[in-house]
Amino acid sequence: MKKVLIGGIGNVLLGDDGVGPYVARLLAARYEFDEGVEVADLGTPALDLIDQISAKDAVILIDSIETDAAPGTVVLYRKADIVRHCPTVRMDPHSPALVDTILSADFFGIAPADVLLVGIQAASFEAGCSLSRSVAASLDKAVTEVLNELERLGAKHRSREDPADIDTWWTPKDNLSPLSA
Amino acid sequence: MAKRITIDPITRIEGHLRIDVEVDNNAVSNAWASCTMWRGIEKILRARDPRDAWLFTQRFCGVCTTVHAMASVRAVEDALKLEIPLNAQYIRNLILIAHALHDHIVHFYQLSALDWVDILQIPKADPTATEKLAESLSPWTRNSRNEFKAAQDRVKAVASSGQLGIFMNGYWGHPAMRLSPEVNLLAFTHYMQALEYQRKALQVVGILGSKTPHIQNLTVGGVANAIDLDSPSALGMAGLENIRVLLDEVVRFINEVYVVDVCAVAAMYPDWFKIGSGVKNYLAVPDLPLDSAGTSYDLPGGYIMNGNLAGVHPFKTAADKEFRDSVSEDVTHAYYQGGKPLHPWAGETEPDFTGWNEDQKYSWVKAPRFKGEPMQVGPLAQVLVGFAQGHPLTLKHATLAINKIETIGGIHVTPDMLHSTLGRHGARAIRASMLAELAQKHLQLLIDNISKGDYTVHNQPVFPGHEVEGVGTHEAPRGTLSHWIVIKDEKIKNYQAVVPSTWNASPRDHSGAHGPYEASLLHTPLARPEEPLEVLRTVHSFDPCMACACHTFDPSGHQIAKVKVL
Repeated sequence: MKKVLIGGIGNVLLGDDGVGPYVARLLAARYEFDEGVEVADLGTPALDLIDQISAKDAVILIDSIETDAAPGTVVLYRKADIVRHCPTVRMDPHSPALVDTILSADFFGIAPADVLLVGIQAASFEAGCSLSRSVAASLDKAVTEVLNELERLGAKHRSREDPADIDTWWTPKDNLSPLSA
Repeated sequence: MAKRITIDPITRIEGHLRIDVEVDNNAVSNAWASCTMWRGIEKILRARDPRDAWLFTQRFCGVCTTVHAMASVRAVEDALKLEIPLNAQYIRNLILIAHALHDHIVHFYQLSALDWVDILQIPKADPTATEKLAESLSPWTRNSRNEFKAAQDRVKAVASSGQLGIFMNGYWGHPAMRLSPEVNLLAFTHYMQALEYQRKALQVVGILGSKTPHIQNLTVGGVANAIDLDSPSALGMAGLENIRVLLDEVVRFINEVYVVDVCAVAAMYPDWFKIGSGVKNYLAVPDLPLDSAGTSYDLPGGYIMNGNLAGVHPFKTAADKEFRDSVSEDVTHAYYQGGKPLHPWAGETEPDFTGWNEDQKYSWVKAPRFKGEPMQVGPLAQVLVGFAQGHPLTLKHATLAINKIETIGGIHVTPDMLHSTLGRHGARAIRASMLAELAQKHLQLLIDNISKGDYTVHNQPVFPGHEVEGVGTHEAPRGTLSHWIVIKDEKIKNYQAVVPSTWNASPRDHSGAHGPYEASLLHTPLARPEEPLEVLRTVHSFDPCMACACHTFDPSGHQIAKVKVL
């Protein structure tokens, strides 16, 4: 049994930064997974992310990204892409986040063999609980990307016969419906 | 000639601390603390149900989730004048203590120890000599040659691979690093062990809060933990015993490792008792209530002005009238519209971004003031306020630490020396050992109360027809946190969070008075201005936390911090 964590990262109060938690909750509502696969909304963790990723064989994180790509673009990063740039001086000791977490886990010898990041290009990080139209339209694509990687890692998923409501309690009721289905 | 140094973790997203210092003859002659975080986040809460506010506020920050949840329910309960059942107080207290212990351990080891510990010295250490040294300091059973050797081998392997990874770009070999190879190895081995013990503390939060990050068990009026001594799915004897075992291990780590290491570092860097004082006004609120109405507490609160410990003013309650009436926020140098300082209940959060200008506006942080004065908050404030009041638990643990420093380094520490960078580290360790003792006490209080047959965890909130105001405070790991709420028609009319790091990272106010970070950096000597390790030591000693609002991943590597010397 492979231990895999699927973790959504981001701040649900800052617009498209909430896409990670959104996708995680969407996956949990629509699919069942092999035993050993855990789906979690991790919020905006700092170094305590180490505890979440240690003792896992693989981790698939979902986070908003900031690149030159069009809003809603979904990009898959592998570990080497993520740790390519190492932070220099930690000004604020609580800003370590992803890169430091993975490098620390590496040093302690507890990093998962596979670390993947499904990134979704954001349009807006303004305070607010809704996703932008372009990011909401990419949710399907992000979900597919996660499921493909999960498959590649050798873990199975099945659609729920009776899909649950997506528990994104922070979104206003009139927010865009994420999946037309 | 004066040099200007900017330390700025350039992120595209707002939310980081930037420090600018002017350096004259290798010492800091002026300083500016600024933050790029936009605080409009509170606006999200307007018109929502006050009972839901804590779910949103605990998403303010990824590190301080529980503290914002707690302050929020307390604010609503204060507005509604709602009492909390004893079980709920104890369960909340245990969560707050466990979270704080986790936080203080992580702060010292993972986030600031390497300001004092030089990785480059570790390969030179003799593990046998390290074991001998460690045995003279502490009964910690994991201070063994084998553990030291294993840690050293790991550092050697990383060093010889040329891939320093997480340790790339530290200020290794800096002339301000002065520990012997053996002390470096000792502290570094504990840096590695600390990861296990902070996790155990967090497990306690998880057991009581159902989940971490983002506890699920709070509710306005109490907690949502079902108590049933025999049911495995509710909070019962098995869960409580599990908590006891975890706490025992964490408490031992605090007393035998963390406190000892801080005392050892202090004894070996005594000049840092003279650096980093700054604002000597201190503010702390009482916390860990012992009754349902919140009239007595295990942690003392109050304020001290101008370092005058004899003139300490205690607060009787966590929402003391003097506290409620005396807080204001000044936006003279912050990117917000507005004129005169406003009380948080009347607070506005309308942006007015004008770019960084040291003489005008230069930070997204408002300048909180207490009776018009800047205040330092955090463990040092809490320890000094308790010490000055003769609070027995504070005196006990402060005396133990002070004696330890004297034993190790032959330095007699006076309360006056605590106004310093080392004072902040020392006070955090003292607070951790106080909390360690209180963790076991509050667990016993909970067990005793349940054993009496009291299973009550919740009182129903009742909303009055008229507008009400409340303040919820919490003496968080980084200091006094207060959430201010105005409720009308069962909806939130206004909400403001005055967080610890805004007190400490405050910019200047209308009178030009420096905030605590700024003031603490003045006169700091810099051995190598282009490698401002000394600035980081002092800033880190406050345990700043303002970056957690947003965690976008930038694959171009733009989150790299930049030190710019002009």
